[in-house]
Amino acid sequence: MTESITTQKYKAFSVIRIWTLAANTVTQLLRMRILAFLTVFSLIAIAAGFSFPTMSPEQQLKLLKDVSFGSLQIFSIVIAIAATSILIPKDLEDRTLYTILSKPVPRYEYLIGKLLGVLLLIGGGLLIMDLILSAVIWIKQSLIITGQIAALKQEQSATPENVAAIKMIIGKYGLTWGVHAGVFAVFLKASVIAALSLLISSFASSTLFTIVVAFAFTIIGHGQQLLRDWFLHDTLSSGFGKIISGLVVIICPDLKLFDVVDKVITGEIISAVTLASMGGMATLYIVGYTATAYLFFVDKEL
Amino acid sequence: MKHKLLVFALLIAICLSKLPLENSLTATLRRQKLLDTGLDLSMRESLGQMGFAASLGGLRSLIASISYLQSYTAFENLDWGTVDSLMTLTTRLQPTEPTYWEEASWHMAYNAASNYLNNNELRAAIRNKLFRDHVNRGISILDEGLRYLPDNPRLLMKLGDIYRDRKPDPKLAAEAYLNAYDHGAKSFYERMGAYELVKLNDRTSWEKAYAILKRYYDSGARYASIMRDLPILEAKLEIPVEKRVPVPTKAP
Repeated sequence: MTESITTQKYKAFSVIRIWTLAANTVTQLLRMRILAFLTVFSLIAIAAGFSFPTMSPEQQLKLLKDVSFGSLQIFSIVIAIAATSILIPKDLEDRTLYTILSKPVPRYEYLIGKLLGVLLLIGGGLLIMDLILSAVIWIKQSLIITGQIAALKQEQSATPENVAAIKMIIGKYGLTWGVHAGVFAVFLKASVIAALSLLISSFASSTLFTIVVAFAFTIIGHGQQLLRDWFLHDTLSSGFGKIISGLVVIICPDLKLFDVVDKVITGEIISAVTLASMGGMATLYIVGYTATAYLFFVDKEL
Repeated sequence: MKHKLLVFALLIAICLSKLPLENSLTATLRRQKLLDTGLDLSMRESLGQMGFAASLGGLRSLIASISYLQSYTAFENLDWGTVDSLMTLTTRLQPTEPTYWEEASWHMAYNAASNYLNNNELRAAIRNKLFRDHVNRGISILDEGLRYLPDNPRLLMKLGDIYRDRKPDPKLAAEAYLNAYDHGAKSFYERMGAYELVKLNDRTSWEKAYAILKRYYDSGARYASIMRDLPILEAKLEIPVEKRVPVPTKAP
């Protein structure tokens, strides 16, 4: 009787099991002090925010955003690759993997849970960094506007028209919704890289191999657009070259699709529809890579 | 074996679905000017291996900022050749950022040109030549920037300034100022265009300048420059005395 109840209750796909695995992964990564980078980021943002006061106001704000977004991207890519690469080998080493898989946990749930844990960690980290960055930009922007208006008053030219112009020009380079959209784009890129690393990790023999190959694919992924144009449109190249570029185009994600940060920094607006399209593309990559990772992992001798 | 076949089938499915979507999203982002065109491979030498890889890897804006900061250091050392090459690199990395074009031209047409002109260690002829060369370089930088940002008022304003102050050519200065005003610059630049038109020797330009300045006068503006140039234009255009603006009488 009890046995039949247990059988009835068992689900082939359980969100609760995945969530438990994800939460466990977050704890596991937090214990590795991965988020210590947040302190480093705060220091970088503050240093970039209040250095170079002799530059033009727009350049000061642009530099602050450039340095901060650069740090955000490096943080997210490094964590996405490193954290995902070490998860399966670490679980093997600690023998946690055997404990988990000896229970009625399907291998795909294990993979999804692990990936979700990494994405939660990256998402949480980026959210905190977004808040820090927004605060620093806002403070910097307010200081610059106050200074500029004071200068105008000194020159007796603080007309409402001039003050509005100053606020508009500086505001464009300051804190806008675009900053958050940029952080979201960074998150999407990191998520795709994490899924790709999970795929490599599912068949790799060592952590180092996964990290090196994932970094290589990340670099190639940023140039995938060039290869795709060449693969699809160039008619003069040799057959062998075409095959190689075709393979890269098939396997690699186009990471340039998430590179809208440059435009965000100069105050360009990104529409919700564009962000949704980018999100959809990232989801396609993540689902595709995770499904392929499962097909490799399901056959893996543990 | 079954799973290996599935992997292969899945990869084919991903490829078939992702290629058209990637192309479509790329086209959308390019149409919305959210995606820059590819990096010129000839820049690889200037950037170095690491810089090139970083700029490909989504850190293009950061690399542009670093080369901009390096150019600032070169500017402080009055190393104009380095300033020019680093600002060229910066503008190439972010060609749609107007402040970089503006600053690159300012360095050449103002800072470098004046520095050479005031260098007493050089012969007068050389000083003048270097001054002219650097002013022309500043103009060519703005012309290049305007190819990427044809309607940018900041670049047009700066071009007008150079044609007014550094390589006096009232016709080109007026053209640049009025173009800047047409593309969103403040009304001040329309008047600047008119002041330049006053300096020319053809009736059409005077009529255009008169129409602009008279409009400001009629709307209540009494700036010193308007009050200086309107009587000049009225004399040149032989405006009937009763239609001329009253000249303020000097206090005894």
